[in-house]
Amino acid sequence: MIPQRELFWNIQGVWIFYLLVSVSILIFAAGMLARVLSWARGGRGLKYSFSLNCLSDLLLDVFLGRRIFRNDPGAGTSHLLVLWGFLGLFAGTSMLMVDHYLYHCLTGLSYLLFSFLMELFGLMLISGLCWGLVRRFIFKIGRLEKRWADLVVPLWLLVAALSGFLLEGSRMAAQEPAWGGWSSAGLLTSYLWGGHDAALSSYRIIWWAHALVSLGLIAALPFTKLFHMLASPTALYMSALPEEAFLPEQTVKAGQALSKRALVFLDACTRCGRCTEVCPSAASGEDFSPRRFLLSARKREAVNYGTLPAAFLFGKRDVPAESGESIYNRIWNCTTCGACADACPAGISTIEVINCIRSEAIEDGTDVPQLLAKTLESLTKHDNPWGAHRKKRFEWSQGLSVPSISGANPPDGLCYFAGCTTSFDTRAQMIARSFVSILDQAGVNFFCIGKDEPCCGDIARRVGEEGLFQFQMENCVELFERWDIRDLVTSSPHCFNSFKNDYPLYMSRDDSQKAGSFRVRHYTQLLKELLEQGKIRFERSIPSRVTFHDPCYLGRYNNLFDAPREIISAIPGVEMVEMEHYGADSLCCGGGGGRMWQEDMTCKVTISERRIAEADAAGAQMVITACPLCLITLEDAVKTAGLEQTLRVLDLNELILLAMGKREK
Amino acid sequence: MTDTIVCIKQVAEVEDADIVLNDDKTGVLKDDLVMGINEWDSYALEEAIRIKESSGGKVVALSLGDEDCQDILRRALAMGADEVVHIDKNGFEGSDAVGVARGLASVIGKRHFDLLLTGVQGSDDGWGQVGIILAEILDLPFASLVVRLENHEDHLTVYRELESNTQQIVELPLPGVVTIQTGINIPRYVSIMGIRRTRNLPIAGTGAGQLGLMNSEIGTEGSCVESRQLFIPSDEANAEMLEGTLSEVCEKALSIIREKGGTD
Repeated sequence: MIPQRELFWNIQGVWIFYLLVSVSILIFAAGMLARVLSWARGGRGLKYSFSLNCLSDLLLDVFLGRRIFRNDPGAGTSHLLVLWGFLGLFAGTSMLMVDHYLYHCLTGLSYLLFSFLMELFGLMLISGLCWGLVRRFIFKIGRLEKRWADLVVPLWLLVAALSGFLLEGSRMAAQEPAWGGWSSAGLLTSYLWGGHDAALSSYRIIWWAHALVSLGLIAALPFTKLFHMLASPTALYMSALPEEAFLPEQTVKAGQALSKRALVFLDACTRCGRCTEVCPSAASGEDFSPRRFLLSARKREAVNYGTLPAAFLFGKRDVPAESGESIYNRIWNCTTCGACADACPAGISTIEVINCIRSEAIEDGTDVPQLLAKTLESLTKHDNPWGAHRKKRFEWSQGLSVPSISGANPPDGLCYFAGCTTSFDTRAQMIARSFVSILDQAGVNFFCIGKDEPCCGDIARRVGEEGLFQFQMENCVELFERWDIRDLVTSSPHCFNSFKNDYPLYMSRDDSQKAGSFRVRHYTQLLKELLEQGKIRFERSIPSRVTFHDPCYLGRYNNLFDAPREIISAIPGVEMVEMEHYGADSLCCGGGGGRMWQEDMTCKVTISERRIAEADAAGAQMVITACPLCLITLEDAVKTAGLEQTLRVLDLNELILLAMGKREK
Repeated sequence: MTDTIVCIKQVAEVEDADIVLNDDKTGVLKDDLVMGINEWDSYALEEAIRIKESSGGKVVALSLGDEDCQDILRRALAMGADEVVHIDKNGFEGSDAVGVARGLASVIGKRHFDLLLTGVQGSDDGWGQVGIILAEILDLPFASLVVRLENHEDHLTVYRELESNTQQIVELPLPGVVTIQTGINIPRYVSIMGIRRTRNLPIAGTGAGQLGLMNSEIGTEGSCVESRQLFIPSDEANAEMLEGTLSEVCEKALSIIREKGGTD
């Protein structure tokens, strides 16, 4: 007898089965369609583009689960087993259909291989699910929530898989095939039945039960966390695409506050909690967590603009306490450091969702924190967030004779864009003073814009004041064009990031040439070049243990991790040490995302104090940073932590100048 | 339904600015100064919008000033005002509070309204009179220095801020006039996009001539007050730096405070 298997062996009423299949596929398709269509409601779109790199990254991330393995191999293993088990069984079941209706191929050796693989996939699914359940409910891994859905969904899958084995066992007990050894798990299960007749009657019941459980699972898929199968890969692919710019006169209609991608992000969240684990705000004990925020945003969308499945899940009448204005209380904690997006296996950018809702809050205007509103008004009126008079912008250069724009001819050379905080904050002014002294001594031909230097608009964009950001951007671009400025260097990673990454999004909309009309570098890049060219020479040894704090907008946002470290390591006497979190894994100082210009949040320990504690623990005597906001916040934290005697916070420029054996001119 | 008219003024923002007087010492040079809505008026405007949001009705914002003051009128539109009127400053130069009030009243008097709001005072001249004189000219009841307002459609209950943290509750029949004190609310943030969207909305314009005001009623001629001279008081060097250890400094500071009667 040739090894093979008869479909619907001993099953009556096959038409009922097909009816059930149709119903379940119909529900599945309707649910999927409704959820996917709900993404189209979003206000801001994406610039879709196809890139083979993105696609191959996506396939590797999805099918190998690279992002899930990262920092948690246990989770990666469990997910990989479930994923491949599920896919394999799904493909196998489809194969049976092909075999039965189209082309009879599962016969002989190919059938034996097929049944062996199906058992393997089944065992993978079961072991993956059990491992996941054990991790969540027995090992009680901190970040994993214990909601009903977290129990019901895996158990449902487990029942489907186990009933498959029981079905196989009862069939084998009834058929007693000669090739049973190829399905050893099924063979083992078959011993549960004493005789042929008992097995056959159980077989029929189990067959229908297995069909119902499996078809039910398909129908329920769009309405449960299993929907992440579609939403998470979509989010992951979209996260690599550039976003569409906001049109200045665009009126945001109700329900359009979130971008299309943000809506996908909300659906893609599986509540794994990796974001909350790495969030500096959550870790400081502030009343914020990215996961909680995403979930309340998801609930708000569902309740206010619920589509079919969302209405089904939450019910329109059930307005949760966290909907409406109160979500505004949760949007200002985020420092936009980006750690959550890096950690998220689905590539969800909580920042983007937060930024959309910040925009909504800003346009509404009634619930903007007072200090922030004052800051934005100051930016509008005085062209800087510090409320300082614009005439005082160039006062940092007093006594240094720094060349600045004057007269009618465009100056030549490198343009040093000092930025607002570096220009106005007395501590941060030392960054500019040291930097121009280094440039002078290195013989670099440079100039500053002077008192007419505009704000780049970064703070406006981070807090969702899109109109103000675009206004500032137009000011800057207009000024760069008027003076034919084509080569910029900034003190702040925030200005750098705005010029490099934000401006092109907006400029390419109406004028594609403008987008590439100037080059921008952060000062760390320039200093490294000068060091390599031998224009910076260290003449003094600094016998000190030094650590480097990566500014988020330099490191995580622009992948510039090495230049500052290479410079520091080149200084004689310096012993470079790393803190617990560094590089791509760095911990935010707490000053970004508009936090610098807000009231302090209630917390157990401030974000910056946590960072300074890490520097202290690493035994550092100096914390070097490369951002005016980091410099101010970290130095404050050193004072509040009472570490002034043992720990100094310096900007990289200040350290370099010390090592050059020069004082600022 | 409560129809509200609110009078707003554009003033120079002087925070962190170095004030420079003009040559004849009658005013401040505004070249380097940023202009904005008078702080008290921003609270009055917010209060007007809140009344509209809770009780319905229309909000009309009114400003007397030069062309620039259209900026604050656009801001009023962005906040939710239904209509704005700009009275050209031409002819009003040198007016006292009565002259300004006459100008405003000649627009307000022709309109229907239930409530007229102004700020308590302007941050530039600091007269604190225009709102009250308006009530006089329009022959309406008024309440000044209001820090809380409850609208009952036919009348208001207002809380007036008096000396030493006391408040007075006043029932004010409508129509009536209220001058608003800072802190009555938190004025909403007005986004740049919000203001940009008002770019094509009309601003009604009028002037002394159209309003039928005589030269003898407004401007320098109609003013009973004449500004003699503006000056900036010279800095006095009375700062005393305390030196010594922390406890010594504290002791010295405490004794100085005692000496001046600070701990009584």
